[in-house]
Amino acid sequence: MDGGVYFGRLSRVVEALRRFAGKTVEFDPIRRLVNWGRLYSLWPVHVTTSCCSVALGAGMGARFDYERFGVLPFGSLRQNDLIIIEGTLTYKFAKRIRRIYDQMPEPKYVIAIGACALSGGIFRDAYSIVKDVSKVVPVDVFVPGCPPRPEALGRAVMLLQEKIRRSKVSGEPIETPIVVR
Amino acid sequence: MEAGRLDQVVEKEIYVSVGPQHSGAGHFRMVLKLDGDIIVDVIPDPGFVHRSVEKIAENMLYVQIVPLVEKVTHVDASNLAMGYVRAVEELSGIQVPERAKYLRTIACELSRITSHLYFFGIFGIFLNHSTMFMWSFGDRDLFLDLTQLLTGTRIAHSYILAGGVRHDMPQDFPDKAMKVLDYFERKLEDYYKIFMLNPVMIERTRGVGVLSREDAIRLGATGPVLRASGVRYDTRKDDPYAAYDKIDFEIPVYKEGDSYARVMVRFREMQESVKIIRQALRDMPEGPVRPKRMVPRWPVKKGEHYARVEAARGELGYYIISDGKAKPYRLKMSSPSFRNLLILKHLLRGETLADMPAIYMSLDYWAPEADR
Ligand code: SF4
Repeated sequence: MDGGVYFGRLSRVVEALRRFAGKTVEFDPIRRLVNWGRLYSLWPVHVTTSCCSVALGAGMGARFDYERFGVLPFGSLRQNDLIIIEGTLTYKFAKRIRRIYDQMPEPKYVIAIGACALSGGIFRDAYSIVKDVSKVVPVDVFVPGCPPRPEALGRAVMLLQEKIRRSKVSGEPIETPIVVR
Repeated sequence: MEAGRLDQVVEKEIYVSVGPQHSGAGHFRMVLKLDGDIIVDVIPDPGFVHRSVEKIAENMLYVQIVPLVEKVTHVDASNLAMGYVRAVEELSGIQVPERAKYLRTIACELSRITSHLYFFGIFGIFLNHSTMFMWSFGDRDLFLDLTQLLTGTRIAHSYILAGGVRHDMPQDFPDKAMKVLDYFERKLEDYYKIFMLNPVMIERTRGVGVLSREDAIRLGATGPVLRASGVRYDTRKDDPYAAYDKIDFEIPVYKEGDSYARVMVRFREMQESVKIIRQALRDMPEGPVRPKRMVPRWPVKKGEHYARVEAARGELGYYIISDGKAKPYRLKMSSPSFRNLLILKHLLRGETLADMPAIYMSLDYWAPEADR
């Protein structure tokens, strides 16, 4: 801690308190409360990487309406906690996605949709695309399909919420990604 | 450094980067050079979705390329496939049954309506008109249901193949289609009242981003952008394909050339598309829709050919060079979005920054199509 230089002993107390708080929030009622708060405010970044955005667009529309799950695209990165990678990620875009990811505050989650994000899909032979998105950002949920139906994307959001409900508050270890089936 | 002193501030142009992470740009970036609030110059930076479609196509069978080219503009899949299939058919003289032509027309027009509805939703949300977004995306789902009934999938159809279409329409398709079309025609009047006559919409788009007739022709505009500038040009009429030569429809043309006219052209086009689908369903003859046996290896002759169709965003061209093998030697696409991108620079110069979304979105720029 920065304060350590000036308040030697105090900083140690603060550090101990902090460690204590870090442990306490992991206990059940508090952990659940914090996770509950995170569950229904999954605001995705306004970034569309490729043509799977059509599925996301339909999902935001009147029939599927992901806002039921608290998913609402939001302009500013500082308030976002979800990136939805919609399909093919080109090398040119991958740099930007990583930068966007790094700018977002913790906790942050990633859903990658489309066959292209998993393995390259129909474009697997292309010279300009990233074949596996998890090499760029850690992915929580994969949704196959070309493009996936909006229902599948809705299910991905629900699975992600399930995962958040189970996770620790510090959110440290990233489990193996879930694949929507 | 010393805190800024007012007399040291130099007024000069600044650069503002818009996109790709921006609610206003989609998969596209442009750098605006601003003098105060006025846009002095625009540096477009496309290529975020360059997926080398043309190169991949050289390693694919002709039939495999149909889903590939559809991926280029997913909201408008059937029109994209139509252009490619037309090029292949005209190159090798493949005959198409009469009924298949009508089914193709229906698939293309359904595609056009869903694409225009997508445009309306996005344009609405850009002007902060979220009712339009909800309405048009809700109605778009009805048309996607129809498409699903006809072709089997919501978005990527792969319905149009060389020699016909993949399968006939289901028996209850005409009834369901008529119901949706009746509903949609009534709904379009509401669209007109709530969106096209909306004072905010009029204020923000009338007289904004005017493209004169001469400039539209000189810069090679295409599609609704061209027709909004007073040029009557539509491939469906001028170089008819599928069953368009037997169907009676109009081409909406507006003289103003501003953003409002571009939106209005698309609005009227949806009305015409409804008319076209009605007629196609009425006039459709009985008969086969494809050859008895569909072979994975299309009999493509040696030679080269250029064919074009009218996609939702404008004229779309395919140039095929075939050396008589199972895979094309070269496939070149000329996409309407890329041609309209050239106009963006011309239109934005001299406008204010606040007008940028209204102009940029009215071109209906679809980045994967321009980058390919
Ligand atoms: S998975 Fe299909 S729809 Fe999604 S980006 Fe890839 S090609 Fe496009």
